[in-house]
Amino acid sequence: MKILIATSGVPFIRGDAEILAEGLREAFSKAGHEAELVVIPFQPYAPDRIPDQILACRLLDLTETCGVRIDRVIGLTFPAYLIPHPNKVIWLLHQHRAAYELWDQPAADSLMHYPDGFVIREAIRQADRELIPEARAVYAPSQSVAERLRRYSGITSEPLYHPPANASLFHQGPAGDYFFCPGPVNSANRQWLATQAIAQCREPVRIRFAGEPGRLTGQARSADKLKGSDRIEWLGMLSEDQKRDLYANCLGVIFSPGDEDYGYVTLEAMLSAKPVIATADSGGPLEFILAERTGLVARPTPESLAEAMDTLWADRRRAAAVGEAGRAHYQDLHISWANVVEKLL
Amino acid sequence: MRILIATVRVPFVYGGAEVHAVGLRQALVEAGHQAEIVAIPFKGYPPERILDQMLACRLLDLRETAGTPVDRLIGLKFPAYLIPHPRKVIWMIHQHRQAYDLWQHPLGDLHTYANGADVRMAIHAADAKLLPRSRGLFTVSRNIALRLRTYCGLNATPLYHPPRDAGRFYTRPAEDFLYFPSRINPLKRQYLVLEALARTRSQVRICFSGPAEPGLERQCAELARKGGVANRVRWLGAVSEEEKLDLYARSLGVLFPPLDEDYGYITLEAMLAQKPVITCTDSGGPLEFVVHRATGIVAEPTQESLASAMDDLWNDRERARQWGDAGRQRYSDLRIDWGNVIENLLQ
Repeated sequence: MKILIATSGVPFIRGDAEILAEGLREAFSKAGHEAELVVIPFQPYAPDRIPDQILACRLLDLTETCGVRIDRVIGLTFPAYLIPHPNKVIWLLHQHRAAYELWDQPAADSLMHYPDGFVIREAIRQADRELIPEARAVYAPSQSVAERLRRYSGITSEPLYHPPANASLFHQGPAGDYFFCPGPVNSANRQWLATQAIAQCREPVRIRFAGEPGRLTGQARSADKLKGSDRIEWLGMLSEDQKRDLYANCLGVIFSPGDEDYGYVTLEAMLSAKPVIATADSGGPLEFILAERTGLVARPTPESLAEAMDTLWADRRRAAAVGEAGRAHYQDLHISWANVVEKLL
Repeated sequence: MRILIATVRVPFVYGGAEVHAVGLRQALVEAGHQAEIVAIPFKGYPPERILDQMLACRLLDLRETAGTPVDRLIGLKFPAYLIPHPRKVIWMIHQHRQAYDLWQHPLGDLHTYANGADVRMAIHAADAKLLPRSRGLFTVSRNIALRLRTYCGLNATPLYHPPRDAGRFYTRPAEDFLYFPSRINPLKRQYLVLEALARTRSQVRICFSGPAEPGLERQCAELARKGGVANRVRWLGAVSEEEKLDLYARSLGVLFPPLDEDYGYITLEAMLAQKPVITCTDSGGPLEFVVHRATGIVAEPTQESLASAMDDLWNDRERARQWGDAGRQRYSDLRIDWGNVIENLLQ
């Protein structure tokens, strides 16, 4: 089949969506198809231009190329998934979140505080509501995104999981004396929860963070200085190899974002047979963690997180067993590109 | 500077234009800029869809990305060069040729549609109104600049760029063959060269390299056999970059007689390898570089004229060598380098 993967991109910024789109293209090629990316430039910080950009996507024509039919278009991100095609399948990585759950959140692309923001929000919502159902099928990357799509747009979709990049390279090593906290340091990933929690631990818990503390809030940094700083290590930028080794040799993984769409960290921990500590409001990760069996789900407070960390620190055999159960669970979920390709075609 | 290169992409089709955009991007990055390619999918039929896609380009917003300004937009191809930007320069590879030089031409079909004339007018109007709004108007060759003046009355400056891996070409003493590197394709006219070969007086030998379009290689071999010159031609098919460089270096001269080529990297590659070029009076792009009887021969596109050009090179090796040297000198004089391109596009 000739397949085009339609996605939006912000020039000079390489986002998760583009990495995923490339993974998908590779998976199609491996399955013997011809696949290419179509990346439409998208400018989210000029809200008044968003309706124009929706229209631009509607005006493009991906039905054929030089007289040869394009058999399928896979739409991934707003507004590129609105490009019309008779055989389109949408795997909706994300809608324009500023028009939905982030509507009233402070952010650079915030709509609520923008003149005409409400009108623009409604235009986006209407385009999604009316045009997404043109697709032959709609999939979401996770239950959490599917739920949002149902709640806001009244559209039913099926969650379709995919593996993290280089899934086969993750491995398991002996559990060392640290928790690993991967992922970029930012407010969404809430590393501050862990830095505050460590001050409350009864056990001499140690955490290694990927990244630098530079982007933590002042509060979290002062907690870090106050107590336990010798038990916290900031590792800076890590290579992929280093990251996988840190997964392989940790006691467990701490991942406590707020309402994450998907979260590769959970899957990477499972592939490394390590228990995951998430929080009850983490979103995506909760789809993969069987509480108490493949990980621990704390309340989103330093106290509760500290308790979960103490539990694993004090019972290393249990930590190992929970990690093993996580790896087995990953196998049961059939998270593979082959499965994604089969569903999308 | 943060620079975006706006071009058009026909899905699943790769050609010179892609190589060109990638080359420009690489040159900008090497010069210390941040540069990325924005490629808009394009489908040129039915005609009314062209108008939709022109509008789509006008609706896109590349003024900034995530809050940081884009300092320069470089437009390469229609309709992507219509994307608005306050600091846009156009370095044109193509207008929509079907609306211009290929209108009512056997290679075009826009004129065969009922709405073809209306769409053509709309394309002319958009180009006439929007091209002059850019800060600078450049073309990849004089041939394109001439078309732009003829059809739109606009003045543009040609900016020549080097072929890929220009720094890797070298020369060696000439051996007993002329080299014809090109995709085997009717527009490149390998057939004409084979017919001419049968009319040479000397025992001229030719090496052909390049992938063949289906059936054409067999047709060409048949043509050589009929002309009784099969023992004087070699078909190498697709060759590696190293082999290509070696063939250029050891050849006596290079044959490149295409029909109305826009630019033509082969001429430049021959000049870099210090070899004289045989081209034709209707070859387009190569004529901007080949100086008749100084760096090569500009023949008539006929068997007789091409045959006599090949005999000329074959029988006077010393002069062929001098023309090759003069071609290399001319390449330098023309300032065909990315530094010059970038300087003009960013000034």
